[in-house]
Amino acid sequence: MKALSIITQTARNLRQTIGSQIMTMVTVSLSVLIFSFFSLVFFNLQRSGVQLGEYIKLIVYLDQEPTPTEKPLLEKQIKSFAPVEKIVFKSRQEAFEQLSNQLGPDRDLLADLKPDFLPPSIEVSPARSLTALTQIKQFSDFLATLPGAHKVQYGREWIERLATFTQLVRLIVYLSGGLLVLTSTFMVSSTIRLTVVTRQAELEILRLLGADSAYIKTPLFLEGLIQGIMGSGLGLLFLHGLFTWVQRRFSGQSLLDIVAFSFLPVDIVALIFAASITLCTLGSLISIRKFLRV
Amino acid sequence: MTPSDRLMERIPPKSAIIDFSKVSKIYPPDVVALRDVSFSVNAGETLFLTGMSGAGKSSILKLICAIERPSKGVVEVAGHDLSRVSANQLQSIRQQMGVAYQDFKLLPKQTVAHNIAMPMEVTYTHPKTIRDRISYLLDALHLTAKKDVRLDKLSRGEQQRVAIARAAANYPPLLLADEPTGNLDSTTTKLVLDLFDQLRRAGTTLIIATHDHTLYHNSPHQVLELTQGAIKSQHPSKQPSSGKPGETP
Repeated sequence: MKALSIITQTARNLRQTIGSQIMTMVTVSLSVLIFSFFSLVFFNLQRSGVQLGEYIKLIVYLDQEPTPTEKPLLEKQIKSFAPVEKIVFKSRQEAFEQLSNQLGPDRDLLADLKPDFLPPSIEVSPARSLTALTQIKQFSDFLATLPGAHKVQYGREWIERLATFTQLVRLIVYLSGGLLVLTSTFMVSSTIRLTVVTRQAELEILRLLGADSAYIKTPLFLEGLIQGIMGSGLGLLFLHGLFTWVQRRFSGQSLLDIVAFSFLPVDIVALIFAASITLCTLGSLISIRKFLRV
Repeated sequence: MTPSDRLMERIPPKSAIIDFSKVSKIYPPDVVALRDVSFSVNAGETLFLTGMSGAGKSSILKLICAIERPSKGVVEVAGHDLSRVSANQLQSIRQQMGVAYQDFKLLPKQTVAHNIAMPMEVTYTHPKTIRDRISYLLDALHLTAKKDVRLDKLSRGEQQRVAIARAAANYPPLLLADEPTGNLDSTTTKLVLDLFDQLRRAGTTLIIATHDHTLYHNSPHQVLELTQGAIKSQHPSKQPSSGKPGETP
């Protein structure tokens, strides 16, 4: 019976302050939408970094072909610096054959050349993580110090751009997270404060009628909880709608073909949902403690 | 079992439910509302507080429902010194007390039914019981047609009857009414008095502040006449009680 009375009182409170409740819900939704949107971008950037990592190779050109005893030593040295997927040693002959295959019908261009004109090399495929990608420069500098290393080659420009962009998105995620924290707690806290102020006369009458603390405080607490559930739920639903629309609208276009974009995993969605509910509830608790004297 | 029955178990008849002991109330800066007032009311009794405006009738009611604190002396309700009760005890006392305030203290933007339901809702009464009680009270006070009307659409007399219905809603063991017929005509005054009679028969203690002598004229109940914050006369004559609930005064 107690629960029913409190729910009835909560519904009544919500009806009485419907305007400010909707405003708060929209603000919370927008904050959640902004934060989850940048989280989604960041998440997909990380994934795309992993996918693109498959194509990244650092080629270390050597002065001399390493002997069979030197190869394991070089391999050990490389692995001691950073995790790698694969290390392939290429002799002058193998390099020549590869070039010849690449030329296809034009391979007769190589007819007058000796097969040892190309340098031997080591092809290093770094581990598939963005952290490794951002450290490619350091890795490259290290590889240049290997004994016999002549030159190190990799797609430096686009890797650096990707790393810069990812860092920017990461910063935006942090900022929008801060925005979410501030707007959720502040807006819900303000709404509850407004409820308390506008219902001061009613709360005073309830006190005179002997209403206990649970009867007065719990509906206000539940208001914050409902704001959190509705606000974050709507924000995430809108993001999902937006994501689905983008996928349908731009399917078959070049970028979406290279990288498979996907929605936030369930655990991250649950985390955003839980965090905004917690923040909204916290906002309502702050106002209850600060403005309500029961 | 009604709340009234529960309180009756705790405060036997003929035991003091209200006890004022040398109570003074001075409002700042130095307005004396009550001066060394002592009286008691036993459970189930009815007391009329009379006197001119400013005599101290409303101050006594405010002290009983702990809206005000005495400047001096002790006010006890159901054996509890109101200046020493905990917040929980005060809540419990207020839940068992129906009060019809002179300024009504109703919610103007809420319906008549909601205003009457409030004391029952705060005690978590079953919704059906609330609905039945509201219907009964509206019928008893000729307000049935106004059930879903917003309070601010009613006349003063109708609002006063709503305030009385709210005070009576929870079968209170103690009912305080401040000028309950001040805005009523003779017909509706009779409806209110009939409701008070029903409550009295059910064991409710009534304390009614009024300057309408027709309410207590030739009445068998106690009448405490106040003048300038002091007791002028008490009929029938009664010694202040020192008894606590459960003791014979």
